[in-house]
Amino acid sequence: MTNIFTAPAIAIDGLHHSYGANPVLRGLDLTVQRGEIYALLGGNGAGKSTTLSALLGFLRPCSGSVRVCGTDPVADARAARSQMAYVPENVSLYEHLTARENIGYFLALAKAERGGDAIEAALSAVGLTQAAKDKRLSGFSKGMRQKVAIALALARDVPVLLLDEPTSGLDPRAVLEFNRLLDAAREREVAVLMVTHDLVSAVDIADRIGFLSEGKIEEEQTASTAGPRFDLNALHDRYTLVAGAPA
Amino acid sequence: MNHSHSLWRAEASLLLRSNRNVLALILLLVLSAASVWSGIVQVQDQRATIERVEREQVRDLAAVEEANAGPEGEAGYNAYYAFMLTQDPPPPLAFAAIGQRDLQPYVLRVRALGLQSQLYDSETYNPELALPGVFDWAFVLIYLLPLVVIALGHDLVTAEREGGRLRLLLSLPGNGLWRRRVGLRYTAVLLAIGLPLIIGAMIMAAPAVSIATMILIAALYSAFWFGLAMLIGGATRASTTAAATMIGCWIILTLILPTLAQAVIARAVPVAKGVDLTLAQREVVHHGWDVPKEETFARFFVNHPEWRGQEEFEGRFHWKWYYAMHQVGDEAVAADVSAYRDSLKKRETMTKLLGYVLPGVGTMNVLHRMADTDIQGQLAYQDSIAAFHTKLRQFYYPYFFEEQAFDHSDFAMIPRYEPRSSGGTPPTEALAALAFLSLLVLALGSRRLLNAGREQGGR
Ligand SMILES: Nc1ncnc2c1ncn2[C@@H]1O[C@H](COP(=O)(O)OP(=O)(O)O)[C@@H](O)[C@H]1O
Ligand SMILES: [Mg+2]
Repeated sequence: MTNIFTAPAIAIDGLHHSYGANPVLRGLDLTVQRGEIYALLGGNGAGKSTTLSALLGFLRPCSGSVRVCGTDPVADARAARSQMAYVPENVSLYEHLTARENIGYFLALAKAERGGDAIEAALSAVGLTQAAKDKRLSGFSKGMRQKVAIALALARDVPVLLLDEPTSGLDPRAVLEFNRLLDAAREREVAVLMVTHDLVSAVDIADRIGFLSEGKIEEEQTASTAGPRFDLNALHDRYTLVAGAPA
Repeated sequence: MNHSHSLWRAEASLLLRSNRNVLALILLLVLSAASVWSGIVQVQDQRATIERVEREQVRDLAAVEEANAGPEGEAGYNAYYAFMLTQDPPPPLAFAAIGQRDLQPYVLRVRALGLQSQLYDSETYNPELALPGVFDWAFVLIYLLPLVVIALGHDLVTAEREGGRLRLLLSLPGNGLWRRRVGLRYTAVLLAIGLPLIIGAMIMAAPAVSIATMILIAALYSAFWFGLAMLIGGATRASTTAAATMIGCWIILTLILPTLAQAVIARAVPVAKGVDLTLAQREVVHHGWDVPKEETFARFFVNHPEWRGQEEFEGRFHWKWYYAMHQVGDEAVAADVSAYRDSLKKRETMTKLLGYVLPGVGTMNVLHRMADTDIQGQLAYQDSIAAFHTKLRQFYYPYFFEEQAFDHSDFAMIPRYEPRSSGGTPPTEALAALAFLSLLVLALGSRRLLNAGREQGGR
């Protein structure tokens, strides 16, 4: 029995997964410790979202093991999910509820009732104006919706954050603010697994960066404690090679 | 406990924030209320008509008595002119399921002449499966409620996927989301359809147990449609596809299949019109004038041997011969009458079987049987008229054959019709079939919905 306090927050070991005849993950190993921010990069269709699905217990792995705080998310989905907050790609909440009502509703669903203060704080943290907090989402831009979803994840106050392209739709200033939120999360010993296309932002905030290709982590770099955190040039070459996309 | 309470509240406020859902529910509530109201109006109309005819009846009988009864009075004239009132007051639940009462006579005045020429006076037999006819509560339940269920339930999963919320919802640690959502919509639909019925029942002083049973039937029928909504909503990717498929199911299950089945039944079991029986009977009676009187009496005595030997009379006309001729006319068409009734019953049996597989038909059958407003109820009224008619004839025969005078005291003794005790009990088999079908579809739908939510993390 793994101890919930000593086990890594995220531990993926030799994970294989195929959709029908399409093998997507082929022996993926990935570990994220508490207080660590891991940026997962990769081309379209590399299997980044699939990796998050495996962590959320949405998929039954063909082989290999997946643990979240020592819990198997397939065998005990509820326990695993109570440790994780997830911001899906292109997420949206209820259009006809206000930002505040949305957070309250989803927290209730997650059995994580927080006081109005916590909701207020989370909405302020993501940079929503006082007026916007009580507006219906139907008038929100993509970036503002993204912020509400992030606020929800923060308000959950759980040890593991899974973020799928969280900065898409955010303007550059909002990305900076978002990075500060991640900093704060790291301070609270939260483990963050963030799927992103944004190499610059990843370099700025991540403790480790991994490239997913051919169903495994092709290359992984850890931030150095002295000098520049990452070798941006090397990463850029790697990124264009793997992702086939400009940074 | 407290937590789940607040979850239900949160879910309820989410449901009520959606204009579409609120509109659909209000529409159902309004239609249900309107149908109950219109049912009550119809029932009260029928009651008022019966009361009016009862008052006229008193006047008419007084006039007949005045003109024909007395120390010199002849029973024949009294029997000829005294139309006796029969009435079938609306059963307690008729306001909710008017059924055949919309078209069938519920007051009929009969005299001692041949019954078969009087019974079908205003008849137009409404096949039990007739498409939307009367606007009553049963109609709103059977035809309109499914549309509201479709509006509320077709996109439970697809709307979340399309709205970009499904993966987030599925990633949360709580459970019972779909159960709460379906349960809430189900409860809301039942309240909207059921509350007006309960209020109507209170106004009409209908028995509480029967109303509870009707609500149970509505609950089963709604369960069928919610089950179907989950089944289809869980199997389709897009809300529009789900909605279109559901509407298709609604058209097929409530309109096309019942209509086709009705045509098949009508073809398989031809039913003569009641008016044909009337004509046949009259034919016999008309012909009777030319038939030798001994022959008519001989046929009459087959079923009325007690009057044998009293047929002689002087002159060309005598009431005993006249009424015997009418009775012989009835008896001549007896085989046709029983064939006619048998085929009506056979149709009803086939409709009953159809109700075992088509929930709309099954629901209608059960409701109309409970309300006693179906063909069975109509035939029961006819039976009670026939029994009364026999009593009436038996009353007059001694006067005809023994040539007794018909005085005022005799007039006062003319039998009066006692309304049958109406009101049906729910047919257990049909109710069980409806329950089985509905719960099966509900179970399949729930499973499908849960799987649809889980499959591949809601992609
Ligand atoms: N539910 C699914 N069914 C079938 N194929 C899928 C499913 N989800 C993803 N895929 C396929 O798996 C591959 C990886 O998808 P995904 O993990 O979403 O990639 P990424 O997030 O890295 O862009 C893609 O080829 C995608 O088409
Ligand atoms: Mg993806």
